Amino acid sequence: MARNIKRKKISLVGSESASQIDYKDLDLLNDYITETGKIVPSRITGTSAKNQRALCVAIKRARFIALLPFCDSHK
Amino acid sequence: MRHYEIVFLVHPDQSAQVPGMIERYKSSIEGANGKIHRLEDWGRRHLAYPIKKLNKAHYVLMNIECDQATLEELETGFRFNDAILRSLTLLQKHPVTEVSAIATATAEENKIAESRAKDAAAKEALAATAEDADDATDLDGLDEELEANDIIPE
Repeated sequence: MARNIKRKKISLVGSESASQIDYKDLDLLNDYITETGKIVPSRITGTSAKNQRALCVAIKRARFIALLPFCDSHK
Repeated sequence: MRHYEIVFLVHPDQSAQVPGMIERYKSSIEGANGKIHRLEDWGRRHLAYPIKKLNKAHYVLMNIECDQATLEELETGFRFNDAILRSLTLLQKHPVTEVSAIATATAEENKIAESRAKDAAAKEALAATAEDADDATDLDGLDEELEANDIIPE
């Protein structure tokens, strides 16, 4: 399990602070959701806990406004 | 006074009423000594999932500074207006005036769509004149034109 961490790390590393994460910034948010629309865990993306919390809030708000889907099979 | 960010979705068939709605909200905010820091109309966008069986909605974003009474008035307006499908009101700490990424993206798309429409219209115009030119193959006229052009430089 621990070996999988090295595969995909977007790891912001200070490039985005939690205050700059906006629910309207779809380009940023699309990096942190899977193809099915699920939120990617931080152990895979390597984001800090603080940024992950801000991302989650932003993604959930974007989902409410229908800028992002909840899943890939909406009907 | 507090700063709020409001996004609301309007039924796409009522897109024509959106400017009127925005004017009403503006007047009620400014009547109560509030300010509008940012107002963006993202136009009709495709929704990520159907809302009330609709696939598109007209988005409007407002960043305002107003008192609680005005905000409640706005929110009850949203609740009882059937044209508004959904609204999101957030408390902000500071006013925001920058143009959002979505607004710039929609502006670019509109430009591309306009230029495509112009190209299409230009092509149609060319096609129409080309047909006229084919019909009138007047080589005699060419001789006259050449003679006329010879006169001009002199």
